[in-house]
Amino acid sequence: MIAADLSMTQDSRPVLGQAALSLQGLSRSFGSLQALSSVSLDIEEGEFFTIVGPSGSGKTTLLRILAGLDQPTEGQLLLRGRDITRLAPNKRPTAMVFQSLALFDHRTVGENVGFALKMRGIAKAKRDARARELLELVRLGAEYFDKPVTQCSGGERQRVALARVLASEPEILFFDEPLSALDYRLRKTLEVELRALQKRTGRTFVYITHSLEEAMVMSDRIGIMRDGQLVQVGSPAEIYGRPDSRFVASFMGEVNILKVAEGRLPELDLPLPGTPDGYVVLRPEALRLEEGTETGAPGFAARVAEVFRLGSRVQLHLESPAGLMIAELPAETQIRPGATARVSFAPEAAHWVAE
Amino acid sequence: MPRLLRSLWLTLILALLYMPILSVVLASLANTRYMRFPHRTWSVGAYTDTFSQQETLTLHLVSLKVALCVTLFSVILGALGAMAFARYDWRGRSIYQKAVVLPIFFPQPVLGLALLMFYSALGIPPSWKTAIFAHMVWILPIVTLVISIRLFGYDPAQEDAARDLGASRWQVLREVTLPHLAPGLISGGLFAFLLSWSNLPLSIFTTGADTTLPEWLFSRVATNYAPVVSAIAVIGTFASVILGVLVLLGLRLSRARAG
Repeated sequence: MIAADLSMTQDSRPVLGQAALSLQGLSRSFGSLQALSSVSLDIEEGEFFTIVGPSGSGKTTLLRILAGLDQPTEGQLLLRGRDITRLAPNKRPTAMVFQSLALFDHRTVGENVGFALKMRGIAKAKRDARARELLELVRLGAEYFDKPVTQCSGGERQRVALARVLASEPEILFFDEPLSALDYRLRKTLEVELRALQKRTGRTFVYITHSLEEAMVMSDRIGIMRDGQLVQVGSPAEIYGRPDSRFVASFMGEVNILKVAEGRLPELDLPLPGTPDGYVVLRPEALRLEEGTETGAPGFAARVAEVFRLGSRVQLHLESPAGLMIAELPAETQIRPGATARVSFAPEAAHWVAE
Repeated sequence: MPRLLRSLWLTLILALLYMPILSVVLASLANTRYMRFPHRTWSVGAYTDTFSQQETLTLHLVSLKVALCVTLFSVILGALGAMAFARYDWRGRSIYQKAVVLPIFFPQPVLGLALLMFYSALGIPPSWKTAIFAHMVWILPIVTLVISIRLFGYDPAQEDAARDLGASRWQVLREVTLPHLAPGLISGGLFAFLLSWSNLPLSIFTTGADTTLPEWLFSRVATNYAPVVSAIAVIGTFASVILGVLVLLGLRLSRARAG
């Protein structure tokens, strides 16, 4: 699907073993505000890399620097080994899907998609033909070609934005939370399509979002950002299974975090021998419940406060000595609010973090 | 029945709106030195006089020079000012937004006198050039407002997107910013031209030895009336109507070609 006349020049061809994008100590401050502090990262060729962080964590600033729309105050950015830190955005073989999508609202769908080709001086007939192809590729269909973008629905606009960046044949695509404004089902559909598109084109995608769930579905690797720093980088399984801080763990959704001191969980009054001081993370599905209040069994006593049936599973809110805890059990579990239970977990299910 | 009432109402409003213009047309067709009706004799002498006098040409030229300069400068400055407060968030932005429209509320004759005193304090002799500045003090806020209305619904990320897709700064201006602003620039420009063209209170104080059309019309109506005054008014009105229609047609044509 890559037209020969649009391919990149020699010096930006992929080189084996070289990172597509290498971020070397990127920092950005706005006056006294440090938006990014020394972010270093290698993004591999053909990788779907997602940066996850709460709002204000600096992820948009980072993406704007990668796209050339902003300049770092310190550090370097290498594209396949070439320093592009100060290169203007229109000179970079990258393209970005903006959070607001930033479609040209005085133009038609076709003109939006053909924009990058127009900027390269490609003849109208040729760019129109390419725009129609791309509209098919993003499942909009060529009949949208003449429609004004202002008359498109949210999902359609999303696809127009995607076709528009694909038209510039970018080596690397950036996505700034483009799906956040869509409803759940449409978002799910587009996540899967985006992933499939990335696989099919073999391009490097860098995606930012505040939703770890979204990141888990699409990414090869995930980087977690907090206060302008990259706090953990790893595969979705690594981030999910071995978060290295409470922050990362709580970002994963609802988890139980308990304090560890002197080989014990003081809040639950349970021993946890051999565990250094810090915290343990307990996933809701790691908790086991036994109804009734027989003492002597391992674990701690808790009262079931709320029961939520989530279809594939049942989520319980437990009143425990450590406060509210969350457990998830198979859907067929029969338990009612108000019941008392003995709660336990396998010691190896408790994942330790220092902070 | 309500339909009949409604059309009667509409006719009445239109009649009230156009009656004064019609009366000026009638006045221009007389040969008397007083406005009176019915005419004893009808005459188009006022029109032939208008076209044969050098003075009327000079009047129009002075007004035209002033109005065109005011339009050009107001649109440029107004566009920049509108962008400053519609696109960027900066300290004092909301104060600027209010301060910029304040001159509209200042009584024009007082403003004109103040400007005249200001010029003489600086030792600048008043002429049609100083009138340009005087007009702009009053007209620029209006133009800025008109253009900024266009900019409020504008997503500046469009410019970033265009850059990102390979557009140079100049291409961004030509392909994204200007097309978006164009309707605002055109309506702002029309406002600027018409307000300057018809301005009397500021011109009286600030044109010095030069005379604009409204100044001349005012003095002739007040002291030395002749049907030429009405004839010039009628010619001016029709010229504006024709110009307006041409601009509209031109816009529609260019839009049809673009689409």
